[in-house]
Amino acid sequence: MKISFLIHNAYGIGGTITTTFNLAGALAERHDVEIVSVLRHREHPNLTPHPDVRLRALVDLRREKDHPLHRRPAEVFPSAEYRYHQYSELTDQRIAECLRSTDADVVIGTRPGLNVHLALQAPRHVARVGQEHLTLDNHPPALRTALRRAYRHLDVLTTVTEADAGAYRRKMRLPGVRVEALANSVPDPVLPAADGNAKIVIAAGRLVPVKRYDLIVEAFAHVVAEYPDWQLRIYGKGEEQDRLRARIETLGLWNNVFLMGAATPMEAEWVKGSIGAAASDFEPFGMTIVEAMRCGLPVVSTDCPYGPGEIIRNGEDGRLVPVGDSRAFGAALLDLIRDDERRRRMGRAAVDHARRFAPGPVVARAERLLEEAVAARAGGRRGAPDRGGMHHALLSRGHAARDLAHAAASGALRTVRKGRR
Amino acid sequence: MSTARTTELRTDCSVGTDGRITLRLRLPPAARPRLVLVLRPKKGRPEEASHTLDLEPCGEHGHVRAVLEPRPVLAEGRWDAYLLRGPDAGRERLRPGLRDLRLLVHGGTREVTSPVAVRVPYATKDGFLALRTWRRTAHAEAGPLDIRDGAMTVRAHLHGAELSEGAVVRLRLRGGRGTERVYRPHPAGGGDFSFTVGYRELAEGAAGSQVWDAFLQPAADAPPIRIGRLLDDVADRKGVYVYPRVTVGGAAVRPYYTVDNDLAVEVTAAG
Repeated sequence: MKISFLIHNAYGIGGTITTTFNLAGALAERHDVEIVSVLRHREHPNLTPHPDVRLRALVDLRREKDHPLHRRPAEVFPSAEYRYHQYSELTDQRIAECLRSTDADVVIGTRPGLNVHLALQAPRHVARVGQEHLTLDNHPPALRTALRRAYRHLDVLTTVTEADAGAYRRKMRLPGVRVEALANSVPDPVLPAADGNAKIVIAAGRLVPVKRYDLIVEAFAHVVAEYPDWQLRIYGKGEEQDRLRARIETLGLWNNVFLMGAATPMEAEWVKGSIGAAASDFEPFGMTIVEAMRCGLPVVSTDCPYGPGEIIRNGEDGRLVPVGDSRAFGAALLDLIRDDERRRRMGRAAVDHARRFAPGPVVARAERLLEEAVAARAGGRRGAPDRGGMHHALLSRGHAARDLAHAAASGALRTVRKGRR
Repeated sequence: MSTARTTELRTDCSVGTDGRITLRLRLPPAARPRLVLVLRPKKGRPEEASHTLDLEPCGEHGHVRAVLEPRPVLAEGRWDAYLLRGPDAGRERLRPGLRDLRLLVHGGTREVTSPVAVRVPYATKDGFLALRTWRRTAHAEAGPLDIRDGAMTVRAHLHGAELSEGAVVRLRLRGGRGTERVYRPHPAGGGDFSFTVGYRELAEGAAGSQVWDAFLQPAADAPPIRIGRLLDDVADRKGVYVYPRVTVGGAAVRPYYTVDNDLAVEVTAAG
């Protein structure tokens, strides 16, 4: 198969980029794979793509930032999408042209706005696979409404959790579209797993409010009170940096809590720790949780929608604690810090259990989905039979009406949710 | 350096229990590949020191490996890593791959003998592989900093020397022609000691921005050694180990680690 990924910006940092590079690299072993990055702002991507994966960009911001068309608002890319302000008439045109002229058998969109382009503009013979790395319930109503219209032209829609796939099946009427959960894969670790002896807790990701690193810092104050020789290392960059620094100072944790800056790849950092931490209020998947587990760390995470609960088995290979509760989070960390044997046992269990997110099983599933979508297109069929009948139709119509009403009533809601990202 | 090409080959490295560093990369077959470490010269100065290692085949898939033994002790500084593919090949600067430094993480807890030699592989700001090295006759490793009530108490451990009766801690004003403040360290047994610096005394008479560098003189007749934090996996500590800024007597006082991971105190007069 010729497979083309369409991504927002392959040159940045983030879970979608990592997982796309991973999947593309694995598929490149047997297929012809390219990644098309809508935007480009630097010479080299942060992650090195597999040598057989071609990478190209549609708009090079280093030269075209001031292109007159780039100053005019996008019309195809939906205005309710989170990254709408980074899109323009120029991106509309380039993406449309890229899709029109593609020689791929299947194009994979990697975010809602790009899935809309794909659904509306891909040539008839090209299979259309939309990937959702966020979740339906967290999309603002106006975006849900836009997606509801466009997504019915997809062949396959993949979500990263079963819970989110369930939400799409329940709340959107997408006749003929196959909705399937496809977890993010995490490459097989190269280094030996952590041995569980280091007195270090590790968290990693973009330093943005929704990730709640402030909660981990607060929880760690409870740890330090009992175990002053333990460290918390937080890897990543972002808008929260200064606030976190201030919080560390206020709590007097400068000898124990460190903002390490960004580290790519994280593998060599994970193995320095013996517990992973994730405290998001909302986490569509939880790539860093799987990364940490594959490196031998049991992870303490909030049980937020939806990812962590589908990754961690509470008490076996990690701990799930209520969202927003720093005391509970600290207690869960302390449970693992106090009991060396339990921590090591859970670390070994984490390695075993997280194998299901290895590229092998995930890629095999992705490959099957893609092949079936391509075959269905070639045979003039679509992805899935209509399911659910009248009851399902009525139910999803109810959700559609509610979203429309919400979208009309309040742009404010959208702004609020946008701010939480 | 500007003549060197850049290779996109990622070089993995790992630090072993004995301090040996193994560097590993995947290379197309080459005549006699070598890895060269070049001590980064001061700006505008020529290169003076380099250290060449043979790259031997190891395992499958065209991997080659070089081993940097604990001895000889390398000069203190930053060593950039280059690849030489063959006898007449030009240098290619190497990019870092996975750096497995887990054995360095709790290095502050083990005893180090003189000369104190530390080597930490790291990624430069522009994304190349380099080795940060320290070589000191003796070294005072700083631990936690207790900052409260307008003073800081530093706990530290002396490596490679004995703490004797006449030991003193000296804070020297950078560019201050010998201006210094002297403190009495409190021995805590086994080479551990602590000392307390009152901020008010440093803040007095501060004009503009001043930096005080911290030294320990282990005995009355011994040369002063730097107090710093070198014995773990953090090559660049300055932006990671960040301490609060406290305002005392019209000046802001903040301890920090220099670009060489040595302890200093910055005093900035208000206005």
